[in-house]
Amino acid sequence: MPQTLPDFSNSVKLKYVKLGYQYLVNHILYLLLVPIMVAILIEVLRLGPDEILNLWKSLHFDLVQILCSSFLIIFIATVYFMSKPRHVYLVDYACYKPPVTCRVPFATFMEHSRLILKNNPKSVEFQMRILERSGLGEETCLPPAIHYIPPTPTMEAARGEAELVIFSAMDSLLQKTGLKPKDIDILIVNCSLFSPTPSLSAMVINKYKLRSNIKSFNLSGMGCSAGLISIDLARDLLQVHPNSNAVVVSTEIITPNYYQGNERAMLLPNCLFRMGGAAILLSNRRRNRSRAKYRLVHVVRTHKGADDKAYRCVFEEEDKEGKVGISLSKDLMAIAGEALKSNITTIGPLVLPASEQLLFLMTLIGRKIFNPKWKPYIPDFKQAFEHFCIHAGGRAVIDELQKNLQLSAEHVEASRMTLHRFGNTSSSSLWYEMSYIEEKGRMKKGDRVWQIAFGSGFKCNSAVWKCNKTIKTTTDNPWSDCIDRYPVHIPEIVKL
Amino acid sequence: MITYICKRTVVSTKPAQAGKCNPLSVFDRLMEKNHIRIVYYFPSTRNGEPGVVTKKLRESLSHVLTCFPIVTGRLQKKDDGHWMIKCNDAGVRMVEARTQGSVEEWLKNVNRDKELMLVTWEDMFHKPYFWATFYVQLTEFEEGGLAIGFSCSHLLADPTSATMFVKAWADTTLAGTMLAPPFFHPLPPPRLGNKNPNHNPYTDLINHYKSTIDDRSPAFTNNITNYVTATLAFSGPMVQACMLDTSRPSPFEAMAGLLWVCVSKVKGMKQGLISMSICLDMRKQLGLDKGFFGNCLVYNKVHHAESLLDKSELSEAARAVGESVTKMNNERIMDLIEWLEHHDYEFPPLMNGHDLICANLEDLDPYATLFEEGFVPIRVSYYVEPVFGIGQILVLQSPPSEGPLSRMVMVTLPADELSKLCDDDLILRFNPTILMG
Repeated sequence: MPQTLPDFSNSVKLKYVKLGYQYLVNHILYLLLVPIMVAILIEVLRLGPDEILNLWKSLHFDLVQILCSSFLIIFIATVYFMSKPRHVYLVDYACYKPPVTCRVPFATFMEHSRLILKNNPKSVEFQMRILERSGLGEETCLPPAIHYIPPTPTMEAARGEAELVIFSAMDSLLQKTGLKPKDIDILIVNCSLFSPTPSLSAMVINKYKLRSNIKSFNLSGMGCSAGLISIDLARDLLQVHPNSNAVVVSTEIITPNYYQGNERAMLLPNCLFRMGGAAILLSNRRRNRSRAKYRLVHVVRTHKGADDKAYRCVFEEEDKEGKVGISLSKDLMAIAGEALKSNITTIGPLVLPASEQLLFLMTLIGRKIFNPKWKPYIPDFKQAFEHFCIHAGGRAVIDELQKNLQLSAEHVEASRMTLHRFGNTSSSSLWYEMSYIEEKGRMKKGDRVWQIAFGSGFKCNSAVWKCNKTIKTTTDNPWSDCIDRYPVHIPEIVKL
Repeated sequence: MITYICKRTVVSTKPAQAGKCNPLSVFDRLMEKNHIRIVYYFPSTRNGEPGVVTKKLRESLSHVLTCFPIVTGRLQKKDDGHWMIKCNDAGVRMVEARTQGSVEEWLKNVNRDKELMLVTWEDMFHKPYFWATFYVQLTEFEEGGLAIGFSCSHLLADPTSATMFVKAWADTTLAGTMLAPPFFHPLPPPRLGNKNPNHNPYTDLINHYKSTIDDRSPAFTNNITNYVTATLAFSGPMVQACMLDTSRPSPFEAMAGLLWVCVSKVKGMKQGLISMSICLDMRKQLGLDKGFFGNCLVYNKVHHAESLLDKSELSEAARAVGESVTKMNNERIMDLIEWLEHHDYEFPPLMNGHDLICANLEDLDPYATLFEEGFVPIRVSYYVEPVFGIGQILVLQSPPSEGPLSRMVMVTLPADELSKLCDDDLILRFNPTILMG
């Protein structure tokens, strides 16, 4: 761990010094306030009640003055309470569980790949190597159209998949929350690669017969971080509209985007992306406050699109044969690291305790003034959050973030296990990971959760949630039949 | 005409245990060159919407495959050069098709070529690790009815096992559970200890296998003969009459004898009978459970004495068959297994490539395969492909409505010989109904 002090990290004494320092800085206000209050109390006791009454009488108070002051106080209080941003609560969410018949074991995937790419054994070998090291398990699912030999990615099949995933997630959400379709005021659907006309949000409105004055939005093309962008949009809308319910549907439709060419950089998404979706209910209604699971604390969005390399690192284009695919550049991890650093710089001051911020500030001043060779201090985010949900974009992403943020294996367990069981479900993977943490019984009242997602552009978005009530394990979630088998050990390379 | 809708792979619902491998037995390895095809015809069901039945069957197939990891695995060669199945969960291939008309219409004018179009099959790939060993085709008839075509490599299953698999699939569709779970076990091991030094292994059976294995005659490299299959249905009383004529207690022996004589005549044998081998299921003799999954069919040449009078030729033929059947007992089969274990061969033989083969598939019970309550298969046809040499006779059960003694015989011969057979006097004496051919 890069430190400003010499490395005594194994020393127990240093641990206690650190703890003492943190306690001191984080509670400095209390520590200053307590002696002052004690001093005042002693002074008051010393003076005695008669002296205080005399003091009171010497202050000549006019009636007008009293009225004005009280009005002023009331006025300031009202302005304060009115301008406070409305709290946004996450009442509940539902993740889509694909049917077992859509399962794609590694052997089946490789066989299909061989049959379809029979003239390109090198591309097949490449896919096999990716799959071996991917961190996926044998239970991830692809939509029915991709199971055909050869796959039939028609628009009808894509709509079919969209209906299957979105309607199942919505039905589950409506059942869990008891929400009536006519009570939905805001609807946001995000699906990056499939954008039919009418939009997917129109499809939801049609199916559930939502109100005609609903505020609906359909976000497409925004990549795997679109889920958090939708949450951000919902939050902003809920500031403007009081007493409202917002439903956010995050999904990625795989059917139309199964790359059927031979370009290696474009075959990678085929190996990793899998079927999945989630529907989330956000609300600013008072009566949802007690039954909501989480409260949204912060959403921080960082966009590195101004940099050309970042802009082109996840790019949808045609290959030499004219087949469309998403090409991932080789410096994806480096760019992701940069984007993450940007995001952390913004979110750090919002969430880190004073002790960490002070250390960071001091290191920063030190590097600028004294010695630029000092290693930058990486704040310890484990003190700001109890749980981490890192977008399960791939094994490399999770490894990189674990290293950069110095997280333990347990912190990234939710991400790794979601990647293993469900694959990369794009924007909805964060919700599968939350569900995992809840089903393991680890989510307690007051816990803070950090969701990080990366997306094409290149974007890094974060959301911070605070748990509102201790969450009990349930049976109607995608992990219910397999949670007992997890966590599993995922080998570095799975021999095919 | 059949319209093919799609081809896909069906996998099990639960992942298979990683790294599990099943070696193939000596009987399995002999059957490398053959494959089995079965067609089940079902009458129209209540649910008339196209695709609904197919979807339901596909889902129940996924469920049943969880219990048959061998079916979803792939072939690989072990270090010693013998085949084994790696249970890697790759799945079975399924083809969905549609055709016009109804099942009943189809059955009225079906022939071998048409029937084989209802079963999809792909010969072994150059790299067998990526070759599916089991195939299922579901053909929905637009005006009612369903044909399920099931094919598999003979390396992994014999007709008994194949029928058992489809029955397990039907049970899972109907009730959600299998009535007879499969039994994956190697063949009984060679006996140790009580080796009688004077014990003379039954050389006839072993010789038959030896000559088949060593036979590199061009019979099975030359496949220009146009084979045709006919299905003859013999009613219960007729089978009984045949049994009385030949004074044999078993319908198979009587039928086998009858067909042996007739085919010999048709082939132009003035005296004596052509060389024939019978093929029997040896599960009971080896003490194996009925659910034993794998090959357990043993071939044995039938030896006969020359006979002069026509009438007694039939009884003599049936008697010879009966004698062959009795000779296939536990001890002799165990000797055969031992001999096969120690006798490696470079090229896999074609067990049905030379003699006329007469296989006893009476006990398979395919009509108990019900995918929906009350819908018994109208007909079930079996094919053991490819057919070479003289020809092939499969003695099968008839639909239960015909009675327990009635039999259905599927005869595969060159086209001109088959037409002569259907006009033969001796056959016509037993009044068979020609269902196909």
